[in-house]
Amino acid sequence: MTSIREAVKHVSENRSISRSWRVTWQFIRLNIRSQMEYRVNFFMSIAIGAVWQVSIVVFAVVLLTRFPGMGNWTSSEVLLIVGMRMLSHGLYVLFFGRIFELSSLVQEGRIDTFLLRPLPVYRQVQLAFFPANAVGDLAVALCLFVDSLIRSSIEWSPGRITFLVAAILSGMLLEAAMFTALSSIALHFPTTSYWSTWLDELMGTFGSYPLSILPRAAEAVFTFGIPLAFIAYLPAGVLSGRSATLGVPESLAILSPLAGPTAFIATRLLWNHSLRRYPGMNS
Amino acid sequence: MTVHAHVAPSGTSRVATGITRYWGIARITPLGELLAPPRLSANALRLGVQIFLVVCLWRALYAQTSHVAGLTREQAVTYAVLATLAGRMRILDRRYGRDTVLQHMHFGTVIYWFLRPLAPRRYYVLRALGDQVYGFTWALVGYAICLWAGAVSLPSSTASMTAFVVSMLLGQMILYHVMQLIDLTCFWTLHNSAALLILQFIQNLLSGSYSPLWFFPDWFNTMSSFLPFQFTLNVPLSLYAGIIPPSDAIQQLCFQGAWVVGLALLTKWLWRRAARRIISQGG
Repeated sequence: MTSIREAVKHVSENRSISRSWRVTWQFIRLNIRSQMEYRVNFFMSIAIGAVWQVSIVVFAVVLLTRFPGMGNWTSSEVLLIVGMRMLSHGLYVLFFGRIFELSSLVQEGRIDTFLLRPLPVYRQVQLAFFPANAVGDLAVALCLFVDSLIRSSIEWSPGRITFLVAAILSGMLLEAAMFTALSSIALHFPTTSYWSTWLDELMGTFGSYPLSILPRAAEAVFTFGIPLAFIAYLPAGVLSGRSATLGVPESLAILSPLAGPTAFIATRLLWNHSLRRYPGMNS
Repeated sequence: MTVHAHVAPSGTSRVATGITRYWGIARITPLGELLAPPRLSANALRLGVQIFLVVCLWRALYAQTSHVAGLTREQAVTYAVLATLAGRMRILDRRYGRDTVLQHMHFGTVIYWFLRPLAPRRYYVLRALGDQVYGFTWALVGYAICLWAGAVSLPSSTASMTAFVVSMLLGQMILYHVMQLIDLTCFWTLHNSAALLILQFIQNLLSGSYSPLWFFPDWFNTMSSFLPFQFTLNVPLSLYAGIIPPSDAIQQLCFQGAWVVGLALLTKWLWRRAARRIISQGG
C-alpha cells in the first residue's frame, strides 16, 4: 500500500511540475501574442536590443582599431572580454532580464497579484512580458563572440571549451544575481531602480575592458565590491594565459566560473526572504 | 470690498503673475529632485565615479601613444569628461514620475495638456527649460571640480571659450528640438517605446557621446555632417578642446543656427498637427 501511495504521489508531483511548465509556456506564448498586437513596435524592440549591443561594439571597435591595446592587453584579448561579457549579458536579458523592472511592478501593484497565483513569484516576474529586445541582443552578441574567438590565438582544448561555456553561464547568473539583490531591496523601496540603472550603466561601460587600467583600489571595488571582474575579465584572463597578472590569486581566477551560481543561489535566498516580508502596496 | 475684484490687473502685475506661473511649471521636476536628498547625493556619487572611470579609461588608452586621429591625450580626456558632464544636463528622468509624453499618451492624461489655459507647446518648453537649468547647474559644478582636479584643461584661448559657450547653447537648443521631435512621434504611433530608444541611441552615437567622432572612419563623419546630431555635442566640445580652430567657429555656428531655425519650424508645425489628432486612450 505504501509503495502504491508513494508511486501515486510521485506521479502527481511529476504532473504538477509538468503542468507548471506548461503554464509557463502558455504565459510566454500569450506575451508574444500580446506584443505582436503592435507589430512594428515588436520588431523595433528586437532592433533596439541589437543597436544597444552595437553601441558597445562600436565603442570597442573604434578604440581597438585606433589604439594598439589596453592596459597591456592586445586588441584580440580585449575583444574576447567584450564578446564573453556581451554573450552572458544577452543570455541574462533573455532569461532573467525582467528582474530589472521589479520597481515598476511593485509601484503598479502587480506583485500583489502575483502573490495570489499558484506559480512562483520570481518566475511570474520573469514572465511579466516577453523580452523581444533579447533576441536582437543575443544575435549581435553571438556574432561578436564568434568573431572574438576567430581572432583569438588561444589553443582550444576540451578543458578550455568547458571553462569558456561555464564562464559564460556564470556571467549570466552573476549579472542576474546582482540585479536580484537590488530587486530584493526594491520590494520594499521601489526607488532602488535608480541604482539598478547605474549598475547597468557601469557594467555596460566598464565590464568589457581589462580592469587593470584602473587604479588598484577601483580594481578591488570591481572585483570584491561589485563583482564585475568575475563576469568576463577574470575568465578571459585565464583563457588568455594571464592568470598570474590579474591582481587576484591565480586559484581565484581559475575558480571564477563558480562565482555566478554561488552568488545567484545566495541572492535568490535573499529575494525569498525579502518577499516574505513584502509590505504590499499602500500598506 | 468688491471694487478691487473688478479692477483689471495692471500690465506689471500681469507680467508678475505670468512669471510666477511659468516659474511654477518650470520647477516641477527639479523640485521633486531637491525634495529627495538621497537622490541628490546618489547623483553626485554617480557623476563622480563616472568621471573618475572615464579619466582612467582614456589615460590607459593613451598609455602607449601620444597622438591618435589628431587628438592628444589631454584633448581626448577633456572631450570625454565634458561629454560626461554634458550628459548630466539631461539628468532628470521623468519616467519614474510617469511624466513622459509616451506615458501620458499611454494613460490618456495627455488630453489635459490640451485642456489647460496654456498652449501644450509652451508647457513643454517651460518644463524642458526647468529640467535643463537644473541639469546645467550639475554640469557647471562638476566642471568646476574637474577643472580644479585637473581632469579637464582650459581652452587654449578666449576665442575658443567664447565659441564653445555659444556653440553649446545652440547645441542644447538643437538637442531640445530633436528630443521634442522624438516625443512628438508618440502622437502618431501611440506605442513606440522601442522607436524612441533607437532614436536616442542614434542621437548618442552620432553626437559623439559614446566616443569622439574624430576616431570614427571618414565615411561615418561625412554622413554625420549632414545630420543635426553632431552639432549637439561634437562641435561644441571640439571647439573647447581646440580640435576645431576658432577661425572655423563662425561656419559651425551658422550651421547650428540653421538647424535650430529649421527644427523649430518643424516642431511648431507638428504641434499643430498633433493637436488635431489627439485621442484619449480608453475612451
